[in-house]
Amino acid sequence: MKKTGFLFDKRFLLHKTGPYHPETPERLEAIYKGIEEAGLLPKLTLIKTSRADLKWIETIHDKHYIDRFSDACISGYETLDRSDNQMCGETYETALLAVGGILNTANMVMEGKIDNAFCAVRPPGHHAESDRAMGFCYFNNVAIAARYLQIEWGVKRVGIIDFDVHHGNGTQHLFEHDPAVFYYSIHQHPSFAYPGTGREFEEGDGDGLGFTKNSPILPGQGDEAYELSIKKDLLPEFEKFDPEVIIVSTGFDAHVDDKMSDVNLSTEGFSWIIKMIFNMAERYANGKLISVLEGGYSLKHLPELAKNHVEILLNGGENVY
Amino acid sequence: MFISKSMTRDVVTIDKKANILDATDKMINRKIRHLPVVEHDNRLIGIVSDRDIRSAMPSIISHDYNSKEEREKLSKLKVADIMTPDPITISPSYTLQDALCLLQQTKVGVLPVVDENDILKGIVGVRDLIRAFINVLGIGEPGMLLGIVVEEQTGKMKEIVDAITEEKISFGSILVAKYWDKEKRAVFPYLLTKDISRVKKKLEKMGFILIDPLEWYLEQLPKTS
Repeated sequence: MKKTGFLFDKRFLLHKTGPYHPETPERLEAIYKGIEEAGLLPKLTLIKTSRADLKWIETIHDKHYIDRFSDACISGYETLDRSDNQMCGETYETALLAVGGILNTANMVMEGKIDNAFCAVRPPGHHAESDRAMGFCYFNNVAIAARYLQIEWGVKRVGIIDFDVHHGNGTQHLFEHDPAVFYYSIHQHPSFAYPGTGREFEEGDGDGLGFTKNSPILPGQGDEAYELSIKKDLLPEFEKFDPEVIIVSTGFDAHVDDKMSDVNLSTEGFSWIIKMIFNMAERYANGKLISVLEGGYSLKHLPELAKNHVEILLNGGENVY
Repeated sequence: MFISKSMTRDVVTIDKKANILDATDKMINRKIRHLPVVEHDNRLIGIVSDRDIRSAMPSIISHDYNSKEEREKLSKLKVADIMTPDPITISPSYTLQDALCLLQQTKVGVLPVVDENDILKGIVGVRDLIRAFINVLGIGEPGMLLGIVVEEQTGKMKEIVDAITEEKISFGSILVAKYWDKEKRAVFPYLLTKDISRVKKKLEKMGFILIDPLEWYLEQLPKTS
């Protein structure tokens, strides 16, 4: 059994998005409940969060944007940049706590105190660009973690796998020139889904050309298309890239019953993906894997999906290579 | 939607007395395929394309391309000898739609933009129009497309727009496929939001039929029996 960390903090619930928004605190409660009721908590290493040092946020985000976000919060604004980004007075602090917890997780993984971890945080991050909030995201949690691993821990090759049903435009743009970070995303085809990026021919730029890879999935497709794309697009790339650490943007919104998408991934399909990623971490990264929550909006299915996710991090599972 | 706003203003031109090897170099260096030919006062007198130059070149098979005589012959060939004189042009007051229709009709690749005295003001090509229409469609901005079947009745479109506006969602664009079905059209709003699940539910409740994304087809023509 692996030493698996679990990051959760009640303060992640304080970011409130109003009555009609899908990205709610209840999502995180559902995830926690699924893990707790399955009796998994005693098997996990609970990770404490702390407010992230702004210097790490500034490695990814424009200083003016950080100030603008903080000011908007203090001034009681209800949205930032677009009406999608609903917020409250606690949103800025919550976003800092989410990043802080993830950086603590990164330290524990690098120090060998844990092998892998699931970070159940809010707000999500992968749409956030250097200078603006987008698609419910404010700070790009995963991007900051990748930069932190590079600077603080001297990691030479960070592999990011993003299986949220939406393309992680922010993460892609932040690293598309950087050959030391490989970004792979599998998501609903951009002509049929937000944010309209992540097409097959987006493959990085300049020195980073060949270090970005996208697998768009058409509406109505499911497990089979995911398996095929991951085997065809991701495996050969990671075999070449040989990541030292794998960070995962974990979204549960590709689920067949999730109203935010038109792709039909089954509960078993999610398990297959995370087993695949677990095996990749074993093969290349000495097991080092940091999974960070992005989307996933079906309160009915989140408990089971999160439970399965953590169980696989703990126990691995058959090699699905 | 005037061409003056979408055209490329910084036009690379060539003199009619220049030889065609200079023209080739210019095209390769600037990554372009057409050079307007102008007089000293920037008055347009012709256009030369990479295809014109290729046709003027000797065939690699039947000629010794690198022989001294061939090169000398080529270097004597002037732009004026191979250019298309009096090319099809448009004025800056043409619209984007005019340019699209004209490109379709004439099958040329670019349209030089000239004023009433034939002075070159800019150039507009397929690439400029693609850029302009990406902006028109709003797809440079993050958002989602929705497909809705609408009966041909006054006020139906307003109902849709109102329903979406009430959700505080901004529009990137709205496209209409006029001939979706008998007395039905299809409307495709591009919405600048990540969450359209609520608005989808709302529209269905109002009686609208949402189109399966795999059936989206924006250029449907009238059905003939």
